[in-house]
Amino acid sequence: MQTYSTTEIVDAIVIGTGAGGAPLLARLARAGLKVVALEAGKHWNPITDFATDEKEQEKLFWTDERLSAGNDPLPFGSNNSGTGVGGSTLHYTAYTPRAQPDDFQLRTDFGVGEDWPLGFDQIEPYYNEIEQFLGISGPSPYPWGPARKQKYALGPLPVNGAGQLMERGCKELGIKTSPAANAALSAGYYQEGVGHRPACANRGFCQAGCNIGAKASMDVTYIPLAVHFGAEIRSESFVTQLIKDSSGKISEVVYIQNGEEKRQRCRYVFLCAGTVETARLLLLNGLGNSSGQVGRNVMAHPGLQIWGEFDEDVRPYKGIPGAIISEDTHRPANADFAGGYLLQSIGVMPLTYMTQMARGRGLWGEELKQAARAYNHVAGINILGDCLPYAHNYLELSDEKDIRGLPKPRIYFTNGENEKRMTAHANKIMRDIWAAAGAKNVWAFPRNAHVIGTCRMGVNPDTAVVNPDGQSFDIPNLYISDNSTFPSALSVNPALTIMALALRTADRFLEQHK
Amino acid sequence: MNYHYPAGTVRALLETDQVTKPTRQALTERLKASSDQPVFFSTEEFSLLQAVCDRLIPQNNQSERIDITGGIDKRLTENKSDGWRYDVMPADGDAYKLGLKGIDESAQLLFQQPFQNISAEQQDFILKAVQTRQAPGDTWQELAADRFFEELLAEAVSTYYSHPLAQEDIGYVGMADVPTWQRIGLNQLEDREPKSIGQGE
Repeated sequence: MQTYSTTEIVDAIVIGTGAGGAPLLARLARAGLKVVALEAGKHWNPITDFATDEKEQEKLFWTDERLSAGNDPLPFGSNNSGTGVGGSTLHYTAYTPRAQPDDFQLRTDFGVGEDWPLGFDQIEPYYNEIEQFLGISGPSPYPWGPARKQKYALGPLPVNGAGQLMERGCKELGIKTSPAANAALSAGYYQEGVGHRPACANRGFCQAGCNIGAKASMDVTYIPLAVHFGAEIRSESFVTQLIKDSSGKISEVVYIQNGEEKRQRCRYVFLCAGTVETARLLLLNGLGNSSGQVGRNVMAHPGLQIWGEFDEDVRPYKGIPGAIISEDTHRPANADFAGGYLLQSIGVMPLTYMTQMARGRGLWGEELKQAARAYNHVAGINILGDCLPYAHNYLELSDEKDIRGLPKPRIYFTNGENEKRMTAHANKIMRDIWAAAGAKNVWAFPRNAHVIGTCRMGVNPDTAVVNPDGQSFDIPNLYISDNSTFPSALSVNPALTIMALALRTADRFLEQHK
Repeated sequence: MNYHYPAGTVRALLETDQVTKPTRQALTERLKASSDQPVFFSTEEFSLLQAVCDRLIPQNNQSERIDITGGIDKRLTENKSDGWRYDVMPADGDAYKLGLKGIDESAQLLFQQPFQNISAEQQDFILKAVQTRQAPGDTWQELAADRFFEELLAEAVSTYYSHPLAQEDIGYVGMADVPTWQRIGLNQLEDREPKSIGQGE
């Protein structure tokens, strides 16, 4: 790996190596820029470091404590966070549906929420490129959204028991289903600059880290590509300060590595630390917030799960967890809410299921143990739906200090009327599907997933933090590339769109700095 | 349905090459971990916590007990977090100490005895009251009883079911993934996946 000295002025520092940082890093490196990525977490070796054990794999979560406030406090840690080279892609489920064109214009269509300052046509070429590069497995044709210009790189992954049950229930009700697009390989795959990655082993452990590189986390895709083109990855480097020079530009980034404070000089900074840490870093440094919008507009997808027990052996630990999708509910007829959602079958690892059962059903004693013994017969179905931005949902710095001595972020979240109505709609449909599939002991686990927002992108410096290219309105050499800039939450899982936006930000930057 | 799985499945798989080295290491360490004296909790608090956990997750097999409270004590001693906390709750360690005090206080108020001296039915009554925010006592004015109960239960459950013996009890063998899983559809089992024995309503 190419390395740079801290006294050298590098072209760009990329803070964070997840879905927002890694693709951009590779793009800048390919263009010949001297780039250094600062990543708070470790650079894992999945083969030797990753156990097929949820407890052991808790090391992939961001565990600096966050304070969850509001009527629907958001869980973090195992939900919505990640640490290590690859960021939260280390433990994302690999579910990579595209947003649809109307997702980008909620306000135009419904009069609520926000339009994006750029449309589907600007994102689509990047969807194509990423799907091919990562080796996304999915059906062709894909039944929803505009006709695709290119087939998925690979055919869909095999369908597990939960997926079969969702197909069965939906068929009964006349709801169309399809194998989902997943960023895990249904066959071995080779990419220049990355090398060979093997096919998925169907071990169902995506959310606790893939140990063979079949899942397209950033550490086995865009990071090796970035290194191939000369980027340096500096892991276990926690950024604390962005230093401005007299011209108002950021000239230096301060970080802690091995307990030692270090500084790296640079020409440009790309902040890709995710919704919570990106906003926290700006607030801590009092930067980029002339709009007063940093930390505002926190959104989190309604993600209600419906679980049931079936007579059949399901063994929910096998196969890609989100095998089957339906987007028939993308814009449901006669809905009493704006936007829509997708439906997804879900397998589940045992600890995740048991702790959700503890929190969601409140079961304990012999009742809990009996319900736990039905684990091999459970399957789930869940939604992923749009979430509107509200003034009452925001992030602030608290007075409490974390283990690094920095103020803990406090995140307020309360579902609005729109999310409640959408969730009620989905609750009925999913219970109907599970009833039609033969489920018993059905129960609901209310949740919100994927924290989004805090550094909104827009065209007006008074109401947005960055412009449509991801550039700060206040500090010209500061860019943001992650889910914090999403003006609306979209009705799909965010990872693919974060990557697409990252490549677009990199390309726009390179065009302007030829 | 009531399902029951044979004992010994996970332990047998750990001896084979169907489990990766890091997986074997993590599970074997957990299997062989000894129960230590508490560091974070006082002896009294620790024994009360054990009594509470015994009701939350009853363990009938005394020779193969899974140490739940030791795991909680270790985490709090190391000041580790799961990454978030309900804003209405105090720091995890303080919440545990306060909540345990509240449980004893409620037992005194309702049954005029400490929690550990009352019957299992009375203990369950107290715990149910805590879970549903109906337990009496000044402590519960300071601490959200339902959130305390939820956090305690989630940690106890997570500690318990991460143990290989508890995983045998639910018929989970997902850790044996080296041969990959090819039979993944409904009612499709690999040879290494145990079938439920003696099931019935």
